[in-house]
Amino acid sequence: MLRWRNLFRSASTQDELEREIAFHIEKLTEANMARGLDAGEARRQANVEFGGREQVRQQLREVHSSAFLSTLGFNCKSALRFVRRSPSFSLAVILILALAIGANSAVFSAMDALILRPLPYPNSDELVFLGQHDVKSRNANRFVAPVRLEDWNRMSTTFQSITGYYTDDLSETSGPLPEKVTVALVAPRFLHVMAVAPVLGRDFTPEEERWGGPAAALISYGVWQRRFHGSADALGQKLHVGTFAYPIVGIMPASFSFPTRDIDLWTPSAPDAPFAQRRDATWFTVIGRLKPEITLQQARADLATVQTQLGAQFPKTDADLSVQAMPLKETVVGGIRDSLWLVYGSVSLLLLIACSNIAALLLARTADREHEISVRFSLGASRTKIIAQLLTEVFALAAAGSLLGLVIAAIAARGFQLLSSELPRAEEITVNWRIVAYSFVCAVTATLLCGVFPAVRGTRRQFAQSLAKNSRTQVSGRNLLQWTLVAVQITLAVTLLTGAGLLLRSLHGLTRVSPGFDPSHVLTFQVTGSWGETSDMKTLTQRIDRTLNGLRSLPGVEAASTAGMLPGVPALYQAEFKIDGHVDPNHKIMADSRYVSTGYFETMQIPLLAGETCNDSANGRGVLVNRSFLDRYFADRSPVGHQLKAAAYNDFQPEGSIRGVVADAREEGINAEPVPTVYSCFSAPTPFPNYLVKTKGDPSAMAETVRRRIHELDPERSVYGITPLQSHLDQSSLENRLRTFLLGLFAGCAVLLACIGIYGMLNYLSRVRQKEIGMRLALGALRGQIVRRFLMQALRITFMGCAAGLVLSLAANRFLESMLYGISATDPTTYVSVMAVIVAVAAVASFIPAWRASRVEVMQVLRQE
Amino acid sequence: MTPIQKADLLQGTLDMLILKIVALGPEHGYGISQRIRQISKDVLNVQQGSLYPALHRLEKRGWLVANWGDSENGRQAKFYRLSREGRKQLSREEATWSRLAEAVTLILGTTANQEV
Repeated sequence: MLRWRNLFRSASTQDELEREIAFHIEKLTEANMARGLDAGEARRQANVEFGGREQVRQQLREVHSSAFLSTLGFNCKSALRFVRRSPSFSLAVILILALAIGANSAVFSAMDALILRPLPYPNSDELVFLGQHDVKSRNANRFVAPVRLEDWNRMSTTFQSITGYYTDDLSETSGPLPEKVTVALVAPRFLHVMAVAPVLGRDFTPEEERWGGPAAALISYGVWQRRFHGSADALGQKLHVGTFAYPIVGIMPASFSFPTRDIDLWTPSAPDAPFAQRRDATWFTVIGRLKPEITLQQARADLATVQTQLGAQFPKTDADLSVQAMPLKETVVGGIRDSLWLVYGSVSLLLLIACSNIAALLLARTADREHEISVRFSLGASRTKIIAQLLTEVFALAAAGSLLGLVIAAIAARGFQLLSSELPRAEEITVNWRIVAYSFVCAVTATLLCGVFPAVRGTRRQFAQSLAKNSRTQVSGRNLLQWTLVAVQITLAVTLLTGAGLLLRSLHGLTRVSPGFDPSHVLTFQVTGSWGETSDMKTLTQRIDRTLNGLRSLPGVEAASTAGMLPGVPALYQAEFKIDGHVDPNHKIMADSRYVSTGYFETMQIPLLAGETCNDSANGRGVLVNRSFLDRYFADRSPVGHQLKAAAYNDFQPEGSIRGVVADAREEGINAEPVPTVYSCFSAPTPFPNYLVKTKGDPSAMAETVRRRIHELDPERSVYGITPLQSHLDQSSLENRLRTFLLGLFAGCAVLLACIGIYGMLNYLSRVRQKEIGMRLALGALRGQIVRRFLMQALRITFMGCAAGLVLSLAANRFLESMLYGISATDPTTYVSVMAVIVAVAAVASFIPAWRASRVEVMQVLRQE
Repeated sequence: MTPIQKADLLQGTLDMLILKIVALGPEHGYGISQRIRQISKDVLNVQQGSLYPALHRLEKRGWLVANWGDSENGRQAKFYRLSREGRKQLSREEATWSRLAEAVTLILGTTANQEV
């Protein structure tokens, strides 16, 4: 440490030297003047007397130039020499480390951006997501009524403020063509909670946040650039969105994209609006900002108290509700966390394998350099010095590797961004100084992991001496450490490969599963609408049915329908139902609740098993159930004609008589078993439902036709999200495919490295045991026996590695359990095939050096002896 | 008497002299060179080119401790004083020196008839 300080202090040390010399000359001058010389002459003589000032400086510098630096310089030079002397070895080490560190840094950059770094808002750890939760019905709806939001904000004591939002997909009509805009309708105090200020303009005024107040909108930085070219004139201009005109009062910073990154404008949603006064009309997603120093537990307790008071005051609507609170970050990042940790864990295993691989290579190398080391010893170098030198050599390689790795990480980070545009926060994945620091740490870790063993071992005096003898007459073994390293590599490779194998088999299983519906030739899209339209449901459903009919009359369209949620895209909306008015508390009737229009089952090719299909969705109130629902809740009875109703009272909950039964389909995700499902025949569950159009030919080719038809029907509305259903499904399985691909890639690398490890080990052995082999051959051993001996030795280690790997992977793969479909984490087929692959590959890798070892020229070897 | 230059001093002797001078009390570089000259009656004249590297080396080893302080003419000067470690080193070197000096004297004092 002291040395480092010296480095930084060198400037002031320099200064002190100058002052010290100056003082000395001053004193000499004084002495000369005392002898009667005049001032000028006295100084001149003093300078002469002092002598070569520069020489003194130089000598002092030498005293101070830290020993550490000069050693470092020496070690670096020796490292360079080392690289130059064995370029292919060095290149191999650098490449292995570059791949391992690069992959590790790349995954870390994703981890850092998505999980480790806080959300990009000031003091974002104070931000909390709040939801209401119906204890009785276990209704999955977490949206909150505006009046209740205001109650929570007023009555709670642990929050600075609480706000909420919901989003509308609307059309902006001030341009020549309607443009789809995503609007966040926000409760009062929105920017206060986010603690973000507009870059230009101002926040909403309290008047604007009240019902009947002046209209106002904040626009996103993107809209500002796109529509107003970043001009300050944008303030005060009006945007015509839906049926309203909003004057722009402020522009948000480019970094602000809450709640989603495609928000174009924010506008107030007044909680005191007359239509917002019912306590069972819920629509806000609620977020709050905790007071400083308040924990989540305190906030939960506080909100529980508040809600109990509300329950006493409004028993009908509030008594069964509890409040959920969790860090906002968790809701943003969500389920990706497990996958990321999995990938990070496996890429770290890969780095470990790479390090043990290089350690083994270096051990063999150090043995070769035993002569050089003993010369240095005899020249009086201390053991620490030699170890430092050997470590510097490794570090030079590791540093080069990690530099190259950073390039790989930068490319990978770009790849992540492109691949995972759907991931939350993906745009934040970049290579920054944190990643650079991380890969430096990786390089140091790698140096220690692969350098310390060989260095410490190679510099043991008796080891060097024993080696000196052994190189002539080595008979066997004493390579325990090297063999252990090979076994470790195999162990870790087995672990990675079983993990990858399980994921791969699970993914493969999924592609063979029949989803129960036919996603091919289906085009999906949405048409802008506003939640305001739900105040007149009749007009809304008429509009949607008119659009559907317009689509059906297009040539090339076989069927058209709407659905609240896309089939096969993971989403589950569980609700509790009662049949014919009965509720049995011991046998709750839980089902996924989905809204579909007339023609849905025809569009998706889901067969009707009994009764009749949805044929009058415009008037709503008819329901169908699926096979699982029938089996679970009706046993042998026919369900047709029974009344089905949501247990909890809610405007948007379905009710009606059961009209028919359809086959099971994997509506909730291709990787999820079908669950009991209730389909309500209702074409307008939202103002912008998903349209599904079954086409004769390629669905993408119909996009333009569809767009034009909607424009004819509804010139003010815009069409957005035109995508074949299949790509939605691909997108929703992206995370699964991506992690499987990455784990497979890492496992492949791991196996390759383990092979290189075995190959290198046997190669080394055949070299140092050349003489012994020659002797054996001379004494009558068959070449086949030599090959067999080598092979058996390698296979013994492989089996040991496999056994250890089996234990390790059985333990590690438990973490995979939740990611596997249709296969258990202990699937014997996977494990057996992995072992078979490893043993086969290890056999091939060891055969080449074993065979080469047996080709020793007997006479030549004996002559050398 | 002709002054003895540094080259003529035994290796390590200068260090010992510096330690000894400083043991008498804190002193700056100029003062040390003056004291060596005075005490040795002008026999030893240490060149600044050897004095300062030696001072800094001793400081680095922890035998001397340096502080900036006011000198007799009121200017700031770097004063060196002996550390506890330096004091031990000085007594070690003094012991070695007197043994060496004894030995050398013995050898130089040998006459032909004393040969064994």
